[in-house]
Amino acid sequence: MLKIWGRANSSNLKKVTWLCEEIALPYNRIDAGMSFGVVNTPEYRKLNPNGLVPTIDDEGFILWESNAIVRYLAAKHAVGTLWPADFKVRADADRWMDWCTSTLWPAFRPVFWNLIRTPADKRNQKEIDEGAQKTAEMLARLDATLAGRSFVAGDQFTIGDIAFGPVVYLIQNVPFERPKLANYDAWYSRISSRPAFKKVVALPVA
Amino acid sequence: MLRIWGRVNSVNVKKVLWCAEELGLPFERIDAGMAHGVVTTPEYLALNPNARVPTIDDDGFVLWESNTIVRYLSLRYSLGTLCPEDPRERADSDRWMDWSTAQLAGTFREVFWGMVRTAPEKRDLAFIEKNRAATAKTLDIADRALAKRPFIAADRMTMGDIPLGCYVHLWMSMPIERPAHPNLTAWYQRLLARPAFNAGVNTPLT
Repeated sequence: MLKIWGRANSSNLKKVTWLCEEIALPYNRIDAGMSFGVVNTPEYRKLNPNGLVPTIDDEGFILWESNAIVRYLAAKHAVGTLWPADFKVRADADRWMDWCTSTLWPAFRPVFWNLIRTPADKRNQKEIDEGAQKTAEMLARLDATLAGRSFVAGDQFTIGDIAFGPVVYLIQNVPFERPKLANYDAWYSRISSRPAFKKVVALPVA
Repeated sequence: MLRIWGRVNSVNVKKVLWCAEELGLPFERIDAGMAHGVVTTPEYLALNPNARVPTIDDDGFVLWESNTIVRYLSLRYSLGTLCPEDPRERADSDRWMDWSTAQLAGTFREVFWGMVRTAPEKRDLAFIEKNRAATAKTLDIADRALAKRPFIAADRMTMGDIPLGCYVHLWMSMPIERPAHPNLTAWYQRLLARPAFNAGVNTPLT
């Protein structure tokens, strides 16, 4: 059976478990990272020299980098649905996965880190304000893309939406002021009402 | 014909130029970004709302996010060579592309901006050194991976080598202290022997 290393509340781990839940792929998850340790053991470093989560073992094939894992599992198990068969639609989904990592998360990370993982007296308000403004700008960009489409790469739910899920879940649940964006809000309702999202993505924010 | 918007001194544009050169694709490059402007014009923003480079137009299909462009071109024009046909080999290439963005680019960028795009009297040397040391440590992982095979994901060049090759070229060309990294250095020499690498990537640092 597919083995997945990573703590349940890691955003990068959630991409993988959400995908597995969506396609009903059985897996065995092993806690690792932060308070669980594991990632600095020689055994784990042999699997993943970065000491990060997630890592998977798929019948002896070891893979890390969450988006690469999502692409690999979707290509193996979900061609034509989560993994679009049309290469242009696939490239569209793909670019939003990259954008989420390269652009949206760096904008939001300082807000998350300060408000959730930093004691109140040590928070950097300037970082929070700048991050919140930048996040709002990025969400407006996503909102414009979602005009006239149900999901990020078109009318079909794809791996492009999967990569966003754990990050936008945090954006929706960290206490900061978000802009009202009709297309984005409707899309968030659509993805967050999926049973698989509720099961593995919508966990307490910590 | 394939159109590529972006200045040649952008690491993200280099990825796409190298890829197109490897594939022998005819293309037209349009200068854009930094001193060239263009990226904030309404026409460009309609193609790429991020106001960044590169963007491509491949027979009417507009795409941005450099790694996604490399994946798209490799899949469309070279399935079985730059884009491996075997799912595991493809995922292996894919992860090194993501890794270059997620693990390497952040600290690398601070060294590059400090050493290449900042006047000597304005450099924050302690900050540059901290990021140089972190980048060197991250590259240890690539050096160890390259001990096992001549290219990052296979016994031949794949799309997985492209983003890493662009960063490593800049890394090797800056006047900084570098660890020995014998495998990474030998791999870089292999890249320098490729005409496509020289055409797309090996241009003066600015």
